[in-house]
Amino acid sequence: MNSYKSPGIVRVWQMGMAWLLLVGAVTVAVCRDAIAEHAAVEAGGDNPGTRAEELFTLEVLPLLRAKCFGCHGGGDELRGEYYMTSREALLRGGESGEAAVVPGKIGAGSLLGAIRWDDLEMPPKKSERLSPEEIALVEDWVRTGAVWPSLEKQVAIQEAAKGQALDAGFVRWKTSGGTSQEWTDRKYLEKDLWAFMDLPPMEKVLPKGVSHAAAIDFFVDRKIEEKALIASPPAHPAELLRRVSYDLTGLPPTAGETAAFVEAFTHDSELAYEELIDQLLSSPRYGERWARHWLDITRYADTGGMSNDYERSNMWRYRDYVIRCFNNDKPYNEFIKEQIAGDELAKTSVRKRHMAAGLEGKQLYAAVRKTETDGEYTEREAELLVASGFLRLGPWDNAMVDDDQARQIYLDDVVNITGQTFLSQTLRCCKCHDHKFDPIPTRDYYGFYAAFATTFPVERPAPFLSVESRERFDSEKQFVEQMLSFARAEKKKLIDKREAAAQAWYAEHDLPYKEESKRRSDPDDLKPPRHVGLDHVESGMLKVREQDEWIWERRLERFEPLVQSVFSARDMPKKTQNARKLRRFTVFREDDGLVETCILTGGSLDAPGDKVSPGVLSAVSLRTQSHGPAHVLPDDVGGRRTALAYWIADARNPLTVRSIVNRIWQYHFGGGLAANSNNFGAKGGKPTHPDLLDYLSRRFLQENWSIKKLHKAIMLSETYRRSVVPVDETNLALVDPGNSLLTHFNRRRLTAEEIRDSLLSVSGELVHADGGIPVFPEMNMEVALQPRMIQFSLAPAYQPSVRRAERNRRTIFAYHCRGLADPFLELFNQPNPNESCELRDDASVTPQALTLLNSEFMSDRAVALADELIRTSGDDAVAIRKAFLRILGREPADVEIQQLLKFLRDSVENHEIELTARMKYPTEITRSLVEEFSGLPFEYREILPKFMNYEADLKIEDLSVEGRALADICLLLMNTNEFLFVD
Amino acid sequence: MFLTSRRNLLLSLGAGLGPVALSNLLQADDSRSSPLALQPPMFAPRAKRVIMLFMEGGPGHMDTFDPKPELTSRHKEESKLPGGLAKGYKFFVGSPFGFRHAGDNGIQMCDQWKYMADPYVANELCNYRGCQAESLNHPEALFHMNTGSRLGGDPAIGSWVTYGLGTENENLPAFVVMTELALPQGGSTNWSNGFLPPYYQGTRLRPEGSPLLDLKTPAHRMPAQQKRMIEELTKLNQRHLETLTAEDERLQARIANYELAFRMQTEIPDVIDCDSESEQTLKMYGVDEPETNAFGRQCLLARRLVENGVRFVQIFSGGWDSHDYLKQGHTSRIKSVDKPMAGLIRDLKQRGLLEDTLVVWTGEFGRTPDNNKRGGVYSLGRGHNNKAMTMVFAGGGVRPGVVGATDELGASAAECIHPIRDVHVTMLHLLGLDDNKLTYLHAGRHKQLSQFGGEVIQDLIA
Repeated sequence: MNSYKSPGIVRVWQMGMAWLLLVGAVTVAVCRDAIAEHAAVEAGGDNPGTRAEELFTLEVLPLLRAKCFGCHGGGDELRGEYYMTSREALLRGGESGEAAVVPGKIGAGSLLGAIRWDDLEMPPKKSERLSPEEIALVEDWVRTGAVWPSLEKQVAIQEAAKGQALDAGFVRWKTSGGTSQEWTDRKYLEKDLWAFMDLPPMEKVLPKGVSHAAAIDFFVDRKIEEKALIASPPAHPAELLRRVSYDLTGLPPTAGETAAFVEAFTHDSELAYEELIDQLLSSPRYGERWARHWLDITRYADTGGMSNDYERSNMWRYRDYVIRCFNNDKPYNEFIKEQIAGDELAKTSVRKRHMAAGLEGKQLYAAVRKTETDGEYTEREAELLVASGFLRLGPWDNAMVDDDQARQIYLDDVVNITGQTFLSQTLRCCKCHDHKFDPIPTRDYYGFYAAFATTFPVERPAPFLSVESRERFDSEKQFVEQMLSFARAEKKKLIDKREAAAQAWYAEHDLPYKEESKRRSDPDDLKPPRHVGLDHVESGMLKVREQDEWIWERRLERFEPLVQSVFSARDMPKKTQNARKLRRFTVFREDDGLVETCILTGGSLDAPGDKVSPGVLSAVSLRTQSHGPAHVLPDDVGGRRTALAYWIADARNPLTVRSIVNRIWQYHFGGGLAANSNNFGAKGGKPTHPDLLDYLSRRFLQENWSIKKLHKAIMLSETYRRSVVPVDETNLALVDPGNSLLTHFNRRRLTAEEIRDSLLSVSGELVHADGGIPVFPEMNMEVALQPRMIQFSLAPAYQPSVRRAERNRRTIFAYHCRGLADPFLELFNQPNPNESCELRDDASVTPQALTLLNSEFMSDRAVALADELIRTSGDDAVAIRKAFLRILGREPADVEIQQLLKFLRDSVENHEIELTARMKYPTEITRSLVEEFSGLPFEYREILPKFMNYEADLKIEDLSVEGRALADICLLLMNTNEFLFVD
Repeated sequence: MFLTSRRNLLLSLGAGLGPVALSNLLQADDSRSSPLALQPPMFAPRAKRVIMLFMEGGPGHMDTFDPKPELTSRHKEESKLPGGLAKGYKFFVGSPFGFRHAGDNGIQMCDQWKYMADPYVANELCNYRGCQAESLNHPEALFHMNTGSRLGGDPAIGSWVTYGLGTENENLPAFVVMTELALPQGGSTNWSNGFLPPYYQGTRLRPEGSPLLDLKTPAHRMPAQQKRMIEELTKLNQRHLETLTAEDERLQARIANYELAFRMQTEIPDVIDCDSESEQTLKMYGVDEPETNAFGRQCLLARRLVENGVRFVQIFSGGWDSHDYLKQGHTSRIKSVDKPMAGLIRDLKQRGLLEDTLVVWTGEFGRTPDNNKRGGVYSLGRGHNNKAMTMVFAGGGVRPGVVGATDELGASAAECIHPIRDVHVTMLHLLGLDDNKLTYLHAGRHKQLSQFGGEVIQDLIA
């Protein structure tokens, strides 16, 4: 811990409750004569001011400065003719004529009412409103006579205060220093800095006599007992199985699995349960589920968003990497390093290889470069490059943005996401100013910024790994080539027409023909008009085809051994500032230019301030180096990021360890021990069980950063196994309505992906396969085909994969297009990938009911299941029973069978209607667009070749009348709360 | 977070919940009975609802409402003006349109505005010329104008307004968005609820096909069967609830949602169906003419929606990005919105709705007075301008007349200059909402539409 408390010095005054009581006791006297000096208890020893003077200097004045002087200080912004910068002016008040403060009288004057928001509401912003503690401070100051010591005295008090001990509960915290001395010297509530405190050693967190196996329940139950609450009994085995299955794999257990588990549970519940966990943790489905959590945080998408939403070819390699890491239980510290500095680690590995082969000096340099440009990496090196895709996940496009600004946007994004993801710190605020609440000066922000200042986005050659799936490359490539040749042919027709007209024009003007690219800079009278020979429809179409041509040309990159990565370089290679073109690695050099990072005052590129070195968060005690400045990173071009990664991934970095442990806990329980897993700062939720968090953090380190072991520890606890049904609900609603004490388990709604995957699973359609190129599931056709604006044109339509087996893969393998979210997933709160999502929302909104009941997607799942049931069931009751087993994993009750049998019979009647003609899949569509230059609308044709040989899902029309009625029953069960929630 | 979503879910149920549970789950300062329940404004409002007409692409202020004779006189002369992203030789582009006064309040408009110029309409208009956008690119500027943040992802102004005031009709979405067939750049981020709960998200009524996805019962399912299915589902869900022994408001909320969905299935098509409107009304909006049909229908629908209690309606009309062929482009764009917008204002006025309905017409930024050569020729169009633009307001407590001014060439705002956030703050103010108090605690900070606070533009207020 690096707070600099100096124990032993007598505290002079304090702000805590004790002092308020003390002041309360002397208030009687104060109010009687209202003379400040009497009220102020004379300070003893070497203290330069009275208690009241210190209160003003150290507490009230900084508060006024922060909250009031903006409008009532000396600046131009004066409001209400009220100055607060001197005692006289402050007491006198403003334009209302009423005195603002009457010394000694907290019932008089307008100021106190204003800051309490009784009448006037000051400061007017809710976000800056004074806390009750702050209001109490000002009241105390007024009560003790509103003293205002001279400037000299203020300085003396401030100086003396630095050496003084603070009241219990308060600390000063050492950082690299803020932009003002006041910020640097400010004190913090100790509890607000919980995350920055070093992790206590295991022997300090785990009381003697408590075993590891009992530890979690020990910490949880202790609190439950403190509040005299009663913990719920364990969940039933079937519930437990469903809970664990969804938790670890995102999929429901089958009825058979349920029966087997329940059976095993009756023999030896502990053994059965532990084996279940082991089995699910070793299932490939585990990584597919838990990678999704990580992709929420890091904002995975296959496209870049913004105006053009360019595809980021092969981004899926990062997705598959994350899945593999979870499945292989890669130690988390390695996982961190690879994502932040994978490219640099790969380079180090390449260099070592060549050195081992005896190369050195220039030869070595040349050999390393050759390996890098040719992409001749080992599997391990290639994987490291894939991991660095983390640095390429944010939305970014430089269209119409100035180069320096585009660069700043990229760096700000990388700084923010690194802070949020690995350290649970929101650094964004510190781009413009020292952090208002947390010990993070703007200097540290720019230290981080400098650590990335040599990082440039680039698409690098790296061979596909043997574990990476390359199936479907052929069929997908054929499709892309088809789209491309269509665009080219259409474009050529228009260009031929235009050039024929141009030739005619030149002939008419007796000038030699020049092709389009060569005549551009000619004067207007020496060349034909720009779109000669084309009307507005054709010139609009030409633009569209030109755009299509390069869109599909670029999609050929999908089949190249490329990886979305970064590159460390000294200068700002111009070509990295372009999202439109492929940034081939070969064009860059790493040895020219200069890198210098300055604090950008107020976040503005136009206001460079102090120069900063690459650095880390100085509020963390962990040093970056044993000698020299404690929080500075090396400033080599390559290597500064690696050093940052090592600092983050250090077992002594308390933020890192607490961050991941809290996240894992959160995904198991639906809420973190600390509520805001992306924000461990003062304004984030405080841990409900800080000792438990620290204990698990220590244990996590003892287990060598193993996430799987952490899962198991958590899931074996009784806390995790409790029923969702609370005991003594009424009392609980008063004492712990949010269930932060975990007396019972939290019921949760399935996430968007779980809903889709489960539906496919229970309908028997889900296909498990390795990752690879994203698949294109069916999407609501209206949305799939709706026109979508990009910078100069419309984006190509969304075409689902041709084969059912491809479409029906797990959702994590689907194409994630920033500009075109799947409306089904969006509706169930799949997060927008532009922002890091710490925890999913699960609000029920009405359109969810419409989609679950009316959508084609739901109907198709019900039909698929009904078709199977009708073929495999002897009679209606059997079919209904099977539907229950499949969808809800349980036997129906008699009353349910009776209800649905009746419904089935009635439905058959309702279904004896003429069905409308089957929907035909369009193989082309007509688009209409407004031509940019003329403002006139025009139409063009877009082809949809995937629908030509489309393997359609079974539709309701394909079923008999009985089958349709049964499909309605399946649909009903798929709509139930029982299906959509996990207990 | 857990608490919040519990609360919101529970609240979508409204009544039917014990007072103890309610008081526990509510934040002290947020005592609404459902997330979209009516909330009283913070002070006496001038407007109760908003219709925002968004001209995507950025209309030229000097080609619509802000005449620049000096610019016309320098047509095709070389321009040395800084700014914009265009590099190389630049030349001035005079407006292709003539201008004249309309009404009695000093409003000027180009001669392409035929219906807006009618004094009955023009006398209601307030033309604001002082706003400055920040971004030069479409999506960022659209995000800024719609959400207060250039980055996108924050709540849209319509979300803030519905969060602040709730809705008068819970059977309809509170914040409705209408677009052309193609979404504007940046897509639904422009009407996203951001960090506000999903209830405040803008609902896009789709111009073709199903107005709301999956609103219609599938063709193969008869209405009676749909009704029956909801009943059977409710039975299944109720039975499940009974087996649980403990209450769960979220499960109850889902049961209620199916009932509400069923009501929406009839109410939305009813509102959307404009067949009951008189021929005269349809004509007033230009629904009978091909050029104005699309926007006219949307404007008419906007009136029907606000009449039925919708709080915030936004209509996007694209194609204003005239880098070239300015005359053709703006002529056709102005024609497509002139009659519908005038019809809307006239209709609202006749029905007594205009006085408490704020109508806003704006783009994401203005245009430059000059242009660079494109493809080597003098292309008569304009670049993006983040220093000057024009906005038109009507109704809802705004002061008719011209407010603010741009410089003689229209390159930059020159009087009554305000950033976008001040326009937002002013709009909220007219609705009886104080931007500084309309906050939502997110990621540890009380967030607000203006980001860090702004100023009410008093000159705009009657």
